[in-house]
Amino acid sequence: MADYKEAPLATRPRTLDPNDYFNLSQEKRRADEERAALRANLKRQYLTQLNNPSRTELIEDPALTRWVYARANPFPHFRPTFKTSLLGIVFGVVPLVTLYYIFKTDRDRKEAQIKAGTRDRKFNLAY
Amino acid sequence: MAGVGFRRWAQTLTKGRGVGISALLSGARAASGASKGSLPGPYPTTPAERAAAAKKYNLRVEDYEPYPDNGQGFGDYPKLPDRSQHERDPWYQWDHPDLRRNWGEPMHWNFDMYIRNRVDTSPTPVSWNSMCKQLFGFIGFMLFMFYIGEVFPAYQPVVSPAQERSDELFM
Repeated sequence: MADYKEAPLATRPRTLDPNDYFNLSQEKRRADEERAALRANLKRQYLTQLNNPSRTELIEDPALTRWVYARANPFPHFRPTFKTSLLGIVFGVVPLVTLYYIFKTDRDRKEAQIKAGTRDRKFNLAY
Repeated sequence: MAGVGFRRWAQTLTKGRGVGISALLSGARAASGASKGSLPGPYPTTPAERAAAAKKYNLRVEDYEPYPDNGQGFGDYPKLPDRSQHERDPWYQWDHPDLRRNWGEPMHWNFDMYIRNRVDTSPTPVSWNSMCKQLFGFIGFMLFMFYIGEVFPAYQPVVSPAQERSDELFM
């Protein structure tokens, strides 16, 4: 297992991760505790609402609202740069134009063949 | 009254009491629901903005890392590690067990890709090199054998010349 190489974009198993063995320090411990405190606060808020006997409505999740809003509204933060313009052209303009040319030339070639009488048109939908 | 929305009009008028109408006139509204500063905003430039954004997203200031400001439309949304929900502890008591997520936890930009029905970034049991060798080795071997089979065909049906001639009539 010493030569285990993880797949690109996948994670390394925790038992083979050197950070778990070597990078342990007081700062890391403090950081973990701060994160746990944030998590505990959120948990408390959620459980208070969940176990409230007089609650009749759904529990609204602001993180979910923020995520939906961020995904649905990228345009205010959009700026035309080299990268975004290139992406727009490659995914928006190039397929449209290339497919148009491919279909047009193919159809024109077939039409020319039909007009010249060289095309084999034996297909019948109904005999 | 110009700043009052139609919805609040309808709500206060249906209350039917004097209190409702006076609340409408003064512009006061309930403290429930999403507040104004809780939605995603533009890329944070000053450290104060960064701290406010980290607090908004329930992250530590050190953990909060926005996407780079390259105009792709992320704003101040945090860049969380690209880890699938497959990797989360299956035995912990999550608030939403099927999503392996707690209430209020910041969601990854591509959260809907990383759910447990879809992309999985958890560690593979076999290393990458081993997987590549197995897959391409098998495919290569099968292609090679099929090629040999084309060059040296075997088990062709043996037909006598008389039968071949009579077969031709029905082609």
